[in-house]
Amino acid sequence: MNYYERPTPLQEQANREAMQHFAEHLNQFKTNCGALHGIECNLSVTANDALKSALRSPGRVIQTDDGTQWQHDVDLSSVTSICHRRTAADLEFAVIECLPLKSREIKEALNSGHNVREVLQAFTRDQRQVLNLWKEDVKAQVKEHLEEKYPRQDMGIVVESFEIKMSRAISETRMQVQSQSRGIRI
Amino acid sequence: METIPKNEAPSVAPPVERLAYSVQEAADMLGVHYFSVYRLIQRGKLKTCHALRGKILVPRTELLKLLETELR
Repeated sequence: MNYYERPTPLQEQANREAMQHFAEHLNQFKTNCGALHGIECNLSVTANDALKSALRSPGRVIQTDDGTQWQHDVDLSSVTSICHRRTAADLEFAVIECLPLKSREIKEALNSGHNVREVLQAFTRDQRQVLNLWKEDVKAQVKEHLEEKYPRQDMGIVVESFEIKMSRAISETRMQVQSQSRGIRI
Repeated sequence: METIPKNEAPSVAPPVERLAYSVQEAADMLGVHYFSVYRLIQRGKLKTCHALRGKILVPRTELLKLLETELR
């Protein structure tokens, strides 16, 4: 079905119902897109703060599961932060995730390197992949939900509208970041 | 002739152990937000399979491996 076709009353009803059912998912998705957008917009400032912190004084020590010791610089979220460690010749930076599971805490370096800005860029790229994974999963869940509630009805247009909403949430934040990095205000 | 039912204990079916869970269920079992579960999947810490329509499923064995403990 073409997305630009007018939806039938049943498709409109299904869309309203699905929007309600997946409202929490959509809100959380938009919130996380916004959080990533925030990191991308402040990338240079955050990178400078991390560098300053690393040169200033030793911070709180975080030991990752592989035994490596890092020093905390800047928080990125409630579970991720930029840390550094001194190597023989230079400083190495990493985005460390401390994820408290029910039985234990996972402490792992997600991205690392000697250039803190590149480390942050790699982190945001990975987070975009996570958002795409999330989007595809929600799309499959919406499809499953609609097939159960409206068997043998064509609900492709509803699934498509969900996909468009989520893709838009991802791409809008990317466009804003690109515009801001070029000094364009939108 | 009517047969008198024996006074037996009601048969209780053993709880069916699920083989795989949705991302939301996996998040509840691990005690984290589901965005964190997607992150674990993205970097290969949790291996997944897919349901018929493409929905992500996390095998129970993978959750147990991550928790390093027995779930009951």
